[in-house]
Amino acid sequence: MENQFDRGSALSIFGSDRKEDFMALVLALAIAAGVYFLVG
Amino acid sequence: MVYTKRNPALLIIGLIMVGIWAAAEFNLMQGYIAHLGGKKYKYASELTTIPLWFGVIAVVAGLWQMLGSHKDGNLDYYGSTIAGAMFILLIAMLVRWFIAPEVAVFSKTLGKVGNTGKYWHKLLGLNYVVIGILVGIIIVNVFRIPAWAQNGVRLSRLGLKTGVILLGTLYSAAELRNLGGLSIVMIGFFVLGSVGMVLWLGARRNIPNSMGGVLSAGMGVCGVSATVASAPVVQAKSVEIAYTIGTILLWGVGCMFLFPIIGNVLNMSHTQFGAWAGTGILNSAQVAGAALAYQPDGIETLKVAEIFNITRVLVLPIIVLWLAVWYVKREDTGENEKVNVGRVIFAKFPIFVLGFILLFALSTTGIFAPPLHYKGKYFDNTKPKTMLTAEEKKVLTDNAGKVKLKARKEALQRLIANGKIMSIEDDTQIRGLANSKVMGKKSGKILKKAHKAVRHTAKKIKAFRKWITWLFAFGLVGLGMQITVKSMRQAGGQPAVIGGIVGFVKASLSLVVVLFLISDKI
Repeated sequence: MENQFDRGSALSIFGSDRKEDFMALVLALAIAAGVYFLVG
Repeated sequence: MVYTKRNPALLIIGLIMVGIWAAAEFNLMQGYIAHLGGKKYKYASELTTIPLWFGVIAVVAGLWQMLGSHKDGNLDYYGSTIAGAMFILLIAMLVRWFIAPEVAVFSKTLGKVGNTGKYWHKLLGLNYVVIGILVGIIIVNVFRIPAWAQNGVRLSRLGLKTGVILLGTLYSAAELRNLGGLSIVMIGFFVLGSVGMVLWLGARRNIPNSMGGVLSAGMGVCGVSATVASAPVVQAKSVEIAYTIGTILLWGVGCMFLFPIIGNVLNMSHTQFGAWAGTGILNSAQVAGAALAYQPDGIETLKVAEIFNITRVLVLPIIVLWLAVWYVKREDTGENEKVNVGRVIFAKFPIFVLGFILLFALSTTGIFAPPLHYKGKYFDNTKPKTMLTAEEKKVLTDNAGKVKLKARKEALQRLIANGKIMSIEDDTQIRGLANSKVMGKKSGKILKKAHKAVRHTAKKIKAFRKWITWLFAFGLVGLGMQITVKSMRQAGGQPAVIGGIVGFVKASLSLVVVLFLISDKI
């Protein structure tokens, strides 16, 4: 798991877990909005 | 540093995806689908939609990578992840649609295993989830991840976290009420028990307090997040954090493959297995991996496992506080740097858990499905799909005398009078009556039809289930690509011994508790 990138970590493209969590939240809300408005 | 590689790989991936779609759409693979199960093949509808959407995205992005000019910056950095993401997605597609069904076909030719009544692939849990992770492990350790895909492979954890947040939309208040109490009791006991056991064993085996502290949080709560959150509180060194993460990874990978096999041998229900995986496995991603490996084409096991997993993460602040007090008492030389425990918890608590709770809260308002839905199904007799015909009513009236139970008799009378089931309680009675078969075959069919007429599937919940399945498939293949032999070796020494003992005790005891205390439906 050696990091060979100058940004993010070996396991994530984001600089911190907090940033990754926020991005996951934004993505999840975007999907939820898409499902809410487009499905059914 | 410029991350985007001028490589035709992404374009080729896109063309392969579009090719898969075209072959399915224009019936070019009918013979192969028949070989994989014909009408029983479950992925025909996915083949004619998903590869087209992602194939087009990959072709467009592939052309941009090949023909565009790329300079150091955000567009280059984030844009270059598309190739790796599509690489993972293509592997997930091939495994889910072709390789796993092929393994199942081969396994069936070998016949059932002894008197278990199960085929080899079922018993060993060789489904798209397990095979996907294995393919990821093989790629990274045998062939290495191609340079153009390396940046994108680091998106897999984002996929898993997004999947966990979206899981919040699938729970109804009724389900959470049933599971919540049990998960709090079980998690409370096992988390506190394992933290205490690691600290006790650590003291006996003379490992440093900082190592014992960080390992106890990792083994007790939720893998990597807990390790990182507790590290500043016990002043753990980088190498101790690495050892702990290595131990969790080693133990978790073993569990991810072994748990489903044991679950199959013991014929555990989805609820039992979910509760066991959510308690006994340490890392969120591996909990999801084991749950999906146990039930690859449904989400019930994953839902139970995740509610236990989320409950465990919610215990994190308590453990951090405990470790802070424990560490200060053991190392109190007056020279230690004071750590603000509240600030550490605020800074390190995983936000995605709050995201899960937010989407669950949104879901309970009824915006995605009626609040009382169960597994995406709900009762609604204001728009029944069909009403009973006069002839069907006559059949039921003629056989009504056979019904002895008062509640069922009354529900049946209301059904005959109104031509549809009148309440959710009546629905339960009518379903029970149909299953009891006391009114004969013909009446049974009519009762089942009446039941189906008022049970509706929430389309939005169905869509969420699809998204979650694919996000987890994507995340778990990527997770496999991050499991290197080198990272597994980091577990070596005392932490691995202590982690192994505590992990084994926790997994065994939680299995016993689950088998004795949890029935199929709770």
